[in-house]
Amino acid sequence: MEPARIRNFCIIAHIDHGKSTLADRFLEMTGTISRRDMSAQVLDDMDLEREKGVTIKAKAVRMAYTSKAGTPYELNLIDTPGHVDFGYEVSRALAACEGALLVVDAAQGIQAQTLANVYLALEANLTLIPVVNKIDLPSAEPERVAQELVDTLGFAPEEIMFASAKEGTGAEDLLESIIARVPAPSGVGDKPLRALIFDSKWDTYKGVIAYCRVIDGRVDNKRKLRLMSTDFTFEPLEVGVFRPALDAVEELTIGEVGYIATGLKTVKDCRVGDTLTDDGKPADDAVPGYRPAKPMVFAGIYPQQGNEYPLLRDALDKLQLTDAALGFTPESSTALGFGFRCGFLGLFHMEIVQERLEREYNLDLLATAPSVEYQVTKTNGDEIVIDSPAELPPPQEVGQIREPWMDISVVCPDRYIGTVMELVTTNRGEYKRTEYLQHSIVQDDGTKKGEGRVLLEYSIPLSEILVDFYDNLKSRTQGYASLDYTFREYRAAPLVKLDILVNGEPVDALSLITHRDNAVHYGRQLTDKLKTLIPRQMFDVPLQAAIGGRIIARETIRAMRKNVLAKCYGGDITRKRKLLEKQKEGKKRMKRVGNVEIPQEAFMAVLRLEK
Amino acid sequence: MHIPFCTAKCGYCDFNSYVGHDHTIPSYTKSLLTDASLWRAAVGGRAVETVFFGGGTPSLTPLPEMQFLMAGLRDAFDILPDAEVSLESNPGSLTTEYLRGLRDIGFNRLSIGVQSFDDEELVSLDRTHSADEARQAYASARDAGFDNVNLDLIYGLPEQPLSKWQSNLEAALDLAPEHLSLYALTVEEGTPLARDVARGRTPAPDPDEQATHYEYTQERLARAGYEHYEISNWARPGRRCRHNLIYWTHREYLGMGAGAHSYLNGARFGMVLLPNRYGELVDESAAAQDGVMRHIASAETPPPELVMADALILGLRLLDGVDVREFARRYGASPDDVYGDILREFEGYGILERTPTHLRLSKRGLLLSNELFLRLLPEAVEV
Ligand SMILES: Nc1nc2c(ncn2[C@@H]2O[C@H](COP(=O)(O)OP(=O)(O)OP(=O)(O)O)[C@@H](O)[C@H]2O)c(=O)[nH]1
Ligand code: SF4
Ligand SMILES: [Mg+2]
Repeated sequence: MEPARIRNFCIIAHIDHGKSTLADRFLEMTGTISRRDMSAQVLDDMDLEREKGVTIKAKAVRMAYTSKAGTPYELNLIDTPGHVDFGYEVSRALAACEGALLVVDAAQGIQAQTLANVYLALEANLTLIPVVNKIDLPSAEPERVAQELVDTLGFAPEEIMFASAKEGTGAEDLLESIIARVPAPSGVGDKPLRALIFDSKWDTYKGVIAYCRVIDGRVDNKRKLRLMSTDFTFEPLEVGVFRPALDAVEELTIGEVGYIATGLKTVKDCRVGDTLTDDGKPADDAVPGYRPAKPMVFAGIYPQQGNEYPLLRDALDKLQLTDAALGFTPESSTALGFGFRCGFLGLFHMEIVQERLEREYNLDLLATAPSVEYQVTKTNGDEIVIDSPAELPPPQEVGQIREPWMDISVVCPDRYIGTVMELVTTNRGEYKRTEYLQHSIVQDDGTKKGEGRVLLEYSIPLSEILVDFYDNLKSRTQGYASLDYTFREYRAAPLVKLDILVNGEPVDALSLITHRDNAVHYGRQLTDKLKTLIPRQMFDVPLQAAIGGRIIARETIRAMRKNVLAKCYGGDITRKRKLLEKQKEGKKRMKRVGNVEIPQEAFMAVLRLEK
Repeated sequence: MHIPFCTAKCGYCDFNSYVGHDHTIPSYTKSLLTDASLWRAAVGGRAVETVFFGGGTPSLTPLPEMQFLMAGLRDAFDILPDAEVSLESNPGSLTTEYLRGLRDIGFNRLSIGVQSFDDEELVSLDRTHSADEARQAYASARDAGFDNVNLDLIYGLPEQPLSKWQSNLEAALDLAPEHLSLYALTVEEGTPLARDVARGRTPAPDPDEQATHYEYTQERLARAGYEHYEISNWARPGRRCRHNLIYWTHREYLGMGAGAHSYLNGARFGMVLLPNRYGELVDESAAAQDGVMRHIASAETPPPELVMADALILGLRLLDGVDVREFARRYGASPDDVYGDILREFEGYGILERTPTHLRLSKRGLLLSNELFLRLLPEAVEV
């Protein structure tokens, strides 16, 4: 299709504001998906997405739409995830589009990720179309939310659209406004090919499938292609578009979004963010790629069965194709054997990765407690970066430790200002600023109508918000607060490593880095918790918490006294064996550290420490 | 010989037994005999050292049927003159007359399922007899001339204090049986007891408490002159149960009857569970005359590594343990050749110990034997 008739747009919003549901309506209206094949949030096709009701991966789909004026258009839509951990998916989707629908829930108004996504879209120079969604809700306040969009983000009142993705209201007007307002792709057809890879996935038959946006030129499966960052060349197997299933086409031309089946077998050969060009007629410059995602949270992932290590490596390789933000390097633990140190964008991302590895690759995994990345200046002047407590040098060699601090923004009703402030300060946070997104209206009789909503900004150490900060925030604000965070800087702090010794042996996978003031308290809690989590063994097992060799807490798991089959079951030896097999299975789910069997929950105990 | 009938089902029991089918006993005994005739060839001329009637409640079988059965067995197999011939029984149905009859047809060992000498405990176990009836049954056995009697008792009931178990044990010792089988109450999957525990109606037995009962028992019975020869079994010198010793020393046995298990000619197999079905299939096998045992429900021929694991796991249940050289002779490798690392590890824990000739569980190891046994099982056993 000629570029003038193409519109590329994505849908961005705070989590749950209705992006995927709106995409459903578009797919329905344009006949891309027949009514028979339709289901709610049809683009959320991963099992995990359906179970959790959230979008994890951005999804592209091509739609054919004939405008009210009777002109046919090709619309390429990318639905994006709203969860803060998946901001990187959003930023990549943005680079493939000229415009974005900014969806805001009519009952909830602007939330933390609404703002975060707007900034991303503006940075990418996209045309934004604000949409107030869910106007059908009884609690909807479309006018107030529209005013918020005007006041906070500077939209003109007449720009704002209203919709109910659920009922379909306003969906057609939205498509019309996309045609009217989102610019057609610019780019030059007879220039050498430049196609930006904005995502990828793995297919057993077709190898790496690169999701592309053609910037200049055209691409088909007849000419050899070249990756501009590596000069790696290959012959594509197939080009096609998303409907939303992969659908082969002759060629993709300027401004179009589609895929190229590369036949390549490894990720390293085909990186997201790279530019594809024609090997015979290469372009001069690559499209500016993306800033690579910066993982913030690190944890060890280990196979339950040591011999599954190669399978795990393979699975991570494949998963990285569909999850460009996932980082991993091999590591080994004295307690857990060989595994990988993996970097994630957040805890939800970590949870999703672990679940996908287990389900899609049929692995039994063990994850260690998450950690952040620390910078350490050693007493000999060396600078090192560590993302695992096990890597921290002994205390006498540590000059200074610096930890990552985040800028966080919290959006909530103004009556919770005090509550949020308190939560932040107990977590070593610092107040920065408050902005009213919306004031409550003082009526003539002096009473207030409606409630004010504020944007609160703080700085806080990442390690403090890693685990349960968000849950606490939610529960203390009755679910009204939303949170967004970005990295700010490294700051020095009196941090110490807390070691846990099981049966006299330090278990590297159980140690953690913590603020000195919390260490003793945490040490006691940890030994206490481990005592209930580690089953009794054939001997007494002492549990100790130590800082630099000084024991600060101690518990003992008493030896088990009895595990015996009383009867001989009338010569039924197989029966006896089955009972033993069952016990053995139970133990397989544990890690033997020295002679002690430690269950997975124990490695996560540190997540349940209380302040 | 498995007799799968009982007058009532005990809450803890997961044996293959059925209530209310007593009237089928005559036809069932016929099936047993037909079965016996089918095995004649497979057993060959081998001499039978022990005959054991287990259940269920074998003592529900009327004398005429018993007579008929024993005669048939003697026809089919070469039962040695000094063979141990045992019967499991429950108090309540035992009369001196019946027991005398058993003696006359060759039974020389009687096992009585007493379980407890406390009437309240008996009720809690769903037993249908009283402690007095158990004592009477014992007296009848003696009157009938049984000089080799075992009592079964259960310890470690939920919330049973040690003192109560001690009185049980004293009551048993007062009777001076030749043999005692003492079992820790086990919550078996699918039993009414398991359901009660799951629903919180009964507390689960406390394993630590059971260990305490066990240790006391070991000490008390040693004082009373009983030899502790297997994890759950004690006997006066010379009165060990020869039949069960066959299991533990990994020798061959043929089990007949619904749900009976065998180890014969290198194969382990079990027969169908339902008595009626068993009868039908035995008849079919007999009619077909093709050597196919249709009444076998499951069978395996354990591979060598499993044979060795079984042998060691069974043998270590005996307090004497496993004779290392004999083991090597029978299986072509010594336990140390095959399990050296594990054995050393468990010696380190004080669970295993050695004599000049034997490998055996330590006193503490008896109670923790599963920890070792499950390590001895080969990986990925098809069961
Ligand atoms: N009443 C009403 N509910 C809606 C509307 N749009 C979406 N919802 C509901 O809001 C919830 C979230 O919708 P989704 O479409 O999954 O939201 P999303 O923005 O794609 O969520 P993430 O991808 O997880 O960020 C679902 O329960 C929808 O049924 C609407 O217009 N009206
Ligand atoms: S008498 Fe024995 S076999 Fe019968 S139900 Fe009770 S425990 Fe089970
Ligand atoms: Mg969604």
